Amino acid sequence: MLMHEVLVVGGGLAGLMAALVASQKADVAVLSKIYPTRSHSGAAQGGFNAALGEDDSIEDHIFDTVKGSDYLGDQDAIEVLCSEGPEVILELERMGVPWTRTPEGRVAQRSLGGAGFPRACFAADFSGHVVLHTLFEQVLRRGIKIYPEWHLVELLVEDGQVAGVLAYDLARARLEVIRSKAVILATGGYGRAFAKTTNAHANTGDGMAIAYRAGAILSDMEFVQFHPTTLYGTNILISEAARGEGGYLRNCHGERFMVHYAPQKMELAPRDVVSRAIFKEIKEGRGFEGQYVHLDLTHLGEALVAERLPQVRDLAIRYAGVDPASAPMPIEPAQHYSMGGVRTDVWGMTSLPGLLAAGEVANVSVHGANRLGGNSLLETVVFGRRAGHRAAQLARQEPWPTLSAATITRAYESWSSLLAGRGQGVQEDSTFAIRQEMTNLMTNQVGVFRVGSELEDAVNRLAKLKERYQKLKPPGGVQPFNYALMDYLEVGYLLDLCEIIARGALRRTESRGAHYRLDYPQRDDQNWLCHTFVRRGEDRPEFSNGPVKITRYAPQERGY
Amino acid sequence: MNVVLNICRFNPEVDVKPYFQEFTVLVEEHNTVLDALLQAWQQDPGLSFRRSCRSAICGSCALCINGRPGLACQTLIRNAITEDGRITLEPLPHFRQLKDLVVDLDPFFESLKAVVPWVVIRDNHDGRMTPEVARKLESPATCILCGVCHAAMDDPGEVKPAALVKGLRLALDPRDVLGAARLQLMKVPRDILRLFIKNLPEKCPKGITVPEDVCHV
Ligand SMILES: Cc1cc2nc3c(=O)[nH]c(=O)nc-3n(C[C@H](O)[C@H](O)[C@H](O)COP(=O)(O)OP(=O)(O)OC[C@H]3O[C@@H](n4cnc5c(N)ncnc54)[C@H](O)[C@@H]3O)c2cc1C
Ligand code: SF4
Ligand code: FES
Repeated sequence: MLMHEVLVVGGGLAGLMAALVASQKADVAVLSKIYPTRSHSGAAQGGFNAALGEDDSIEDHIFDTVKGSDYLGDQDAIEVLCSEGPEVILELERMGVPWTRTPEGRVAQRSLGGAGFPRACFAADFSGHVVLHTLFEQVLRRGIKIYPEWHLVELLVEDGQVAGVLAYDLARARLEVIRSKAVILATGGYGRAFAKTTNAHANTGDGMAIAYRAGAILSDMEFVQFHPTTLYGTNILISEAARGEGGYLRNCHGERFMVHYAPQKMELAPRDVVSRAIFKEIKEGRGFEGQYVHLDLTHLGEALVAERLPQVRDLAIRYAGVDPASAPMPIEPAQHYSMGGVRTDVWGMTSLPGLLAAGEVANVSVHGANRLGGNSLLETVVFGRRAGHRAAQLARQEPWPTLSAATITRAYESWSSLLAGRGQGVQEDSTFAIRQEMTNLMTNQVGVFRVGSELEDAVNRLAKLKERYQKLKPPGGVQPFNYALMDYLEVGYLLDLCEIIARGALRRTESRGAHYRLDYPQRDDQNWLCHTFVRRGEDRPEFSNGPVKITRYAPQERGY
Repeated sequence: MNVVLNICRFNPEVDVKPYFQEFTVLVEEHNTVLDALLQAWQQDPGLSFRRSCRSAICGSCALCINGRPGLACQTLIRNAITEDGRITLEPLPHFRQLKDLVVDLDPFFESLKAVVPWVVIRDNHDGRMTPEVARKLESPATCILCGVCHAAMDDPGEVKPAALVKGLRLALDPRDVLGAARLQLMKVPRDILRLFIKNLPEKCPKGITVPEDVCHV
């Protein structure tokens, strides 16, 4: 049996940051279903928010975030996020991050949506990539043990305490138990629950579903962020940096339509506002071919596009056949970020003793009902660092938790009974078919605009998909790299999460941030200025409301 | 349109040696080889290949397309399809095949360690860097560790090319104490390094360029 005082699950920015910090005081390992450098964090283009500029202030960053969150973010957590931002950026600088620089040699910053100041530190449009690789370098430096291409399958809970995990080694096609004093979940988001998403194939919400099944509380799952500008068709992200550098949105009449929706911020209004505006334009017949609008960078000049947005340019040429320096790009909104997640405190502690969480898998909650561009990368490093710190502390103080043979046997047995296969003979159905129906359903009925009747229908249809899923025979066979088996498990996780998202959205009878109900278009602070908590019940999720932490800023109407 | 994928299969549990299997898939010209592979996977869920970002930034989907190493998600069908409507897909050469298109990456990641792959920060560094220097680091810092360069070199040698890219990128970094000493560390003669730098952009799917003047530091 393998043992590590602290086990970090996930090798993205949050996971690597947690591992680095924890390794200063404890024995740490990183378990990740893909090699760490291949984590989704590497795709992030725009940048990391931090109030570094002389004219900027932490106070302003806090306020922009609170307002951006539509007052659903916890203000104590937001305060931590913004206050620790500048020092984490400095720390990353000393680890060797190759930031883009100002003429004076300082870390350069750019504007992203919803910010009152050019606040995002960046490296061209490879910001996530270079930081991920820099953290990976530091992980090599510290000799931290990595289990690459190992999947977390289950949390092993003994007397209400997480005592280790059951993991599947894809290359050797074997299950392993890893004992630990603290498990940090950093498994990222669930973007693949939606047919139209900017997310990588690996983003299947595993950590959230596994934590939920083990009894942890999830929160605010109905809040799903849609990014306004993804390439029409493939939904590959065109970073907000493209608008930050001065790009325009235009409808089929060539009009900069944001003037009707957010006259002050125009294209740099927050994502929920811009996504809705685009859909409205398309719906009212001002889109191209009834499907998309244009993101126009042609007035910026080729030199700027080449220097500041090289990746955007490359992506648009390759996947849309359009060079943004000379022609506008066809774009549509798509799912982008999981605002909800495993509920944690500001140290990453969850409701399950021994389990911590950080990054997109967690809900601490700094994004509330709508995340601002640049805040999530910052969140991964700020709260990854904190979770690492707290986990190492636990490892110092706490004895090894008991992990009985009975618990391990039970976990192994449930795995083998799963593989032994259910419902023989119904193989005309497949994981692929179920996944396709599920993701289309989520995009069409639990998307940017929501309405009670469609949500109810979605809940019912998801239940039917779940029934079909229960009858599937898992693609077994002991063979290395059995991706079909992993796919089968992932669809199971996603079905759990989709049910929670749809039920949560049906339950919240108001519009706030990214959650927009056509039948309840107003924000309703009287009844809904609260978090949604959900835990696993007997046969369905159990919902409740939790208080929002408000310290300095009383809710106001949110205008841009 | 219909495309025939000719895919190299190998399952160590049952096969003594690799063989080819044909899949006919329906894709659009502007789809990528990865899209086609995902179609083939639906026909045979037992097919193994890596993927994640589908936008040429994670390095997972590196493989050999019609004999040339590249990224499946970056290669459009219309650029890969041969006259007879086929595309041949094999695992990366110079890597050990583990299952179908999946190769052993451990030695590749392991080889990074040979170049002390992190900035050894100067104590007195003030945290500033001129934009010109920062720009020099940019291209080599975008290496996605996909392994295509290693697969595309005739004689890849002991230190893997991606490790060289990392070492050279660090040698250019003014914050780093080792600086020029890194070139010694790499144990690769300077003229060979120069040749490597010259050939890289053409082999690397990210078109990575390393400023040649690094060899003079
Ligand atoms: C295209 C794109 C661009 C973005 N740009 C920005 C930006 O400019 N600024 C910003 O602030 N935010 C941005 N975001 C959001 C931000 O990138 C992510 O929220 C953030 O990177 C998430 O990091 P993470 O460490 O939480 O998870 P990830 O980077 O997603 O890592 C998850 C890790 O968990 C592992 N894992 C998952 N499941 C399992 C399992 N079952 N077993 C073992 N391991 C598992 C994976 O292998 C992976 O290593 C962007 C997002 C996208 C989609
Ligand atoms: S140098 Fe290019 S080909 Fe080689 S690993 Fe890096 S990105 Fe891939
Ligand atoms: S899937 Fe990430 S590089 Fe191709």
